[in-house]
Amino acid sequence: MDLKTLCDMFGGPGDEKEVRRAIAEEARKKADAVTIDRAGNVIAFKRGTDDGTPHVLLCAHMDEVAFIILDATEEGLLRFAAVGGIDPRVCVSKHVLAGKDRVPGIIGAMAIHLQTAEDRKHVLKMDQLYIDIGAASREEALKACPKGSYAYFNTQLQAFGDDCVVAKALDDRVSCWNLLRLMEKRYPCDVTYAFICQEEVGSRGAMGAAFGADADVALILEGTAAGDLGDVPETRKVIRPGEGVGVSFMDLTSLGDTETFNRLLDLGKAFDVPVQIKKGVTGGNDARAFQHMKTGTKTCVLSVPCRYIHGPSSVAKLSDIDAQRDLVRVYLENV
Amino acid sequence: MLMEEFLQKATAVPGVTGNERQVSEFIAEAFRPYVDDVRIDGMNSVICHKAGAGPKVIICAHLDEIGMMVSKIEEDGCLRLKNVGGVDPRVLPGMRVRIYGKEELTGIVGAKAPHLLTPEERDENYTFDTLYVDTGMSAEKVRRLVHPGDTVCFEHRWQPLKNGFISVKTCDDRACVAIMLGACQLLQDMRCSADLWFVATCQEEIGSYGASTAGFGIDPEYAVAFDVCHAVTPGAPKDRVFSTDSLVISKGPFLHPFLVEKLEETAREQGIKLQEAIDPRYTATDADDVSIVRGGIPTVLLSLPLRYMHTNVETCDSKVLKDGARLLAHYLRAFDAAWEDQLWI
Repeated sequence: MDLKTLCDMFGGPGDEKEVRRAIAEEARKKADAVTIDRAGNVIAFKRGTDDGTPHVLLCAHMDEVAFIILDATEEGLLRFAAVGGIDPRVCVSKHVLAGKDRVPGIIGAMAIHLQTAEDRKHVLKMDQLYIDIGAASREEALKACPKGSYAYFNTQLQAFGDDCVVAKALDDRVSCWNLLRLMEKRYPCDVTYAFICQEEVGSRGAMGAAFGADADVALILEGTAAGDLGDVPETRKVIRPGEGVGVSFMDLTSLGDTETFNRLLDLGKAFDVPVQIKKGVTGGNDARAFQHMKTGTKTCVLSVPCRYIHGPSSVAKLSDIDAQRDLVRVYLENV
Repeated sequence: MLMEEFLQKATAVPGVTGNERQVSEFIAEAFRPYVDDVRIDGMNSVICHKAGAGPKVIICAHLDEIGMMVSKIEEDGCLRLKNVGGVDPRVLPGMRVRIYGKEELTGIVGAKAPHLLTPEERDENYTFDTLYVDTGMSAEKVRRLVHPGDTVCFEHRWQPLKNGFISVKTCDDRACVAIMLGACQLLQDMRCSADLWFVATCQEEIGSYGASTAGFGIDPEYAVAFDVCHAVTPGAPKDRVFSTDSLVISKGPFLHPFLVEKLEETAREQGIKLQEAIDPRYTATDADDVSIVRGGIPTVLLSLPLRYMHTNVETCDSKVLKDGARLLAHYLRAFDAAWEDQLWI
């Protein structure tokens, strides 16, 4: 399965069925055992060749930020809320697919001519935006997209610039893709591949997966926000596309295991894998669940820098995506 | 080419105000089979003549579109933009755009991410000063391919919605150019005495310069302007918006009452519903300017209601295009030399 297939699929938090099914099917071709746990995570296991090696868990989340339908206006426009962190600024005038039947729609807002000077200053909140599917009434709109159904940015992955891709859901399908690619090989150690649901609404899937897991080390593969262009002050440019996979010493919800962190940096040097230290403490991810569940697990986060994350068109470098896979590969081969 | 096919293709051709040549050529070829003569004037307006012995009428719908220009290339290679016409910067974050440099490139509009903003900044809209375009390329390569002054357009996506709605960039005003084309096609099989000058005008978005110059060159007796107006959206002032289901006729000092009356009469005869707009002064369309060309030209204005005007998702009801073409064709056929005597007294 290629990255385009993965990114172009729809899987909001709690609505991961399509992605779960595709990943489970793919994993069954490669792993020794694949199960779906009671939280909805896909857990694949592949036995190692050498006894006495630590059991490594690799984690990537399947879900993506999405919208959920709240209601419709009398005129047939759908009201919605974000499921996960979406900046309302990136929603205005964007194409979406809404409801189970993926009905095409657009996110509308009042034309510039009709706005007051005050309107123009302030950011439109989610509750001032709506999805227009062309429905003529509330009934027609809700029949096509019932309350509680999901809507997604309607953009497809395309090659972009030099060695980049632009797509929705790069966070975290890049890592799902890498887990599936890594699964093709057998390593000295036992490896659990955990494809997690509901990361974007507070690592809820990871809680279940971490409870069920029995690994010595958990590597969390993520997509992380990269703000390296424009007006971002140098001090806030903590990770840059094109400079390799980012390794975190700490983020807002977990501390990287020092030994694993240093090991990853050394391996990068030794095997010529481009690695950058994420030079800031931002974001949270599934590491918190794995680090703190039960008696605790050593974790370290490896991130692909993504510009415009959680939007319809996030951008990542293919070389960074490959670096994430390569760094994990040399880690597993030399565990 | 049928109206919808024309609209789908024409909206994909770039034609930002002042830089319309490409779309002018496309439109000229589309009209050619249905008229006696087509030329593109020095301003980039497309002038299509369907000769007749009766009154000389200019019909205007503008071909230019709002868009952007590259104003600066930053050290890191990202592009700064300036708007050409009324582009709402609120629609831009996260949008894919086309950059017409030495090569045609895709760009993504970016800005400082929310987690890098202060709480006050988080409530402020991005502006052209804070937004930028990312090309995914090295600064060096960007400098080789892109220059300040290059045109940038919204990404073109043709998106049919339910109930015959179409959402696409540049419905303003290519949908009305499509209606003119549809009227030309209908007139092939109709007896019409008027001397018709269909003009797809340039530079409307910055002041209707194409309409006034083409009007001067053609020197018509009457003018029919065709543009878009606002459709109902939540929060919009009620007296400035219209239902998407029918065309709008404007009334006010800039529009000639006799021509308005005749247009309403044609609509009644053809069973076509019209809504009324009352414009006490400006209409902000070609009608304002074409009506005072040379010694003055009695003018009417028809408008097609659009949701989300001046965005990449301008949305109209495609069924209204057919009504528009039929109404326009029958109205033009009605023009009569005898009207001259009834205009003023």
